[in-house]
Amino acid sequence: MIKQTLAFFLILFCFSTIEADELNNNDRIRYQSLIEEVRCLVCQNQSVSESNAELAKDLRREIKLQIQDGKTDSEIKSYLLERYGEFILYEPAFSQKTLFLWFSPIILILMFYGWFKKIGN
Amino acid sequence: MTRRILPLIIFFVLMGFLAQSLYQSDTELPSPLIGKSIPEFKLTNLINGEFVTRDETIGSVSLINVWATWCVGCEIEHEFLVELSQDEDINLPIIGLNWKDDDRLAKLWLKQLGDPYSLVLKDPEGKTAIDFGVYGAPETFLIDSNGIIHFKHIGPLDRKIFEQDILPLIGGLN
Repeated sequence: MIKQTLAFFLILFCFSTIEADELNNNDRIRYQSLIEEVRCLVCQNQSVSESNAELAKDLRREIKLQIQDGKTDSEIKSYLLERYGEFILYEPAFSQKTLFLWFSPIILILMFYGWFKKIGN
Repeated sequence: MTRRILPLIIFFVLMGFLAQSLYQSDTELPSPLIGKSIPEFKLTNLINGEFVTRDETIGSVSLINVWATWCVGCEIEHEFLVELSQDEDINLPIIGLNWKDDDRLAKLWLKQLGDPYSLVLKDPEGKTAIDFGVYGAPETFLIDSNGIIHFKHIGPLDRKIFEQDILPLIGGLN
């Protein structure tokens, strides 16, 4: 049973990397990590690496082509951002709009720290 | 006193933010392409097989409609598009972008359901659609004579949406 399950997942894994075959080792790692960072817009909560939706396939192909063209990761990401907006990347970009988002954990920790200190006194 | 109320105020402000995002529509994402030009492309005319570029496509205020025969929403909006294309008062050309489709099926569709398009470009690979930031058909863009995108609608277009969101913009563009 364990063997079968393992085999099943190995086969699945093979399918998911098949598209990256034409890339060299270094590029393949970049490709894998990029497609995991890009959100599949038509499927709730899947990255384009996990999804079989047509759009996800197209986006994977586009990312692969751009890697082959020698584009850097940030060039590829800004290409996607210009067309699809921030929603396409799982990690929000650092901008004025997302400033609160990025700093809110620190602000909250400081607030709680102050609050607990006061209670302690 | 204020110190005691402060956490409560913060709590309600946070709740306010959360409630707001709860009622925000999550199906309509803002397009970062509004105010920008449509992308460069070189596509094939579905009907006569000739190459068409971006510059040959622009020149008047028009709609660009992304459609496919496999797309259910496209069938829903098609009747309205045909009506719109025949409306001489509005006189708005509709350019079709046939997305990841089969040529034969696409031509058959236009023959059977009517052809509202002044020009149909085909994008079998979906490369230009990515440049347009398309993520699901149907999508409709309003562009001015310089090819600048002024509005984008995701999902089937109907008279109500057209009159409410697109028609008022056209006046300012002509």
